[in-house]
Amino acid sequence: MSSRRSRSRQSGSSRITDEQISDLVSKLQDLLPEARLRGNDRVPSSRVLQETCSYIRSLHREVDDLSERLSELLATSDMSTAQAAVIRSLLM
Amino acid sequence: MISIGAGSSSSSSSSSAGVRMGGAKRRGKPGGAAAAAGSAAAAGPAQTKWRSGTQERIYGRRLLDALRATRSGAPHPQPRPRAVKDAADSALALTARGQSRWSRAILLAGAATCRRRVLVKAGGKIRRHPRPQARAAAAAAKAAAAASAGEPPVLRERKVKDRLRVLGRLVPGCRKLQAPDLLEETADYVAALEMQVKAMRALADALAAAQLSSNRQQAAGDDEADMER
Repeated sequence: MSSRRSRSRQSGSSRITDEQISDLVSKLQDLLPEARLRGNDRVPSSRVLQETCSYIRSLHREVDDLSERLSELLATSDMSTAQAAVIRSLLM
Repeated sequence: MISIGAGSSSSSSSSSAGVRMGGAKRRGKPGGAAAAAGSAAAAGPAQTKWRSGTQERIYGRRLLDALRATRSGAPHPQPRPRAVKDAADSALALTARGQSRWSRAILLAGAATCRRRVLVKAGGKIRRHPRPQARAAAAAAKAAAAASAGEPPVLRERKVKDRLRVLGRLVPGCRKLQAPDLLEETADYVAALEMQVKAMRALADALAAAQLSSNRQQAAGDDEADMER
């Protein structure tokens, strides 16, 4: 959906600009946890992508661990305590 | 299997109007279940969208509904961790309101496990084993097109290409996506995952705290009963 001349080689995609890619990569870089530690420039795109992949993997692992923990907790608690807990956690 | 209560869907449609960021970009892909307000999520504030308290509250409510559904099937044995994770992921995809490719992929995958035969016969769109010839032909076409379309130099690097491919496998439903779309989906997905982790951790902590206090109350009650005898 580019406003510039869309010379589409593939279906629906126009010319991908360097600026577009570097914008998106820097946006990803901002999301990474280490973004605050190092200066946000001069990080090669391949490094950003690599860190993004490992960050996503670690987030998946956290979700798995939390699922385990939640399944144990839910087994021993009834629904009313769960509801009260959710309401409390949402208000925080 | 996620049960979408009528109550939860109506509340989310009224609160999401405030959360929706006005976006100029609108992908031409068919909208998901909720294209009601018309404006797709903007490319920029993926972070702000997912880090808002409103989104976390919506997600928490959905998560609870989904978790309740897992227990209704088997109340006594504990819900399998896999079932909890699937419930959490589906709740996350629902909270995304089908605006992103990864969320639609999760919702489709959830539906597929229930009605796999019907879906496969209907369109054959769910391909689990991409055919190697098709992939090679597509790669060749892409290389030729990229060379002639003046692809930005960074995308021609071997490392970048490899890592983009790995990324495409990590984000649901984005295996065949081109770089700009893939990077956008990734940004949204990472922000959403962070919110999911935060919400699940808060729920687990709150549940643990509630259990501790109820155990303490129970113990105190037992002590009182003993003393009265």
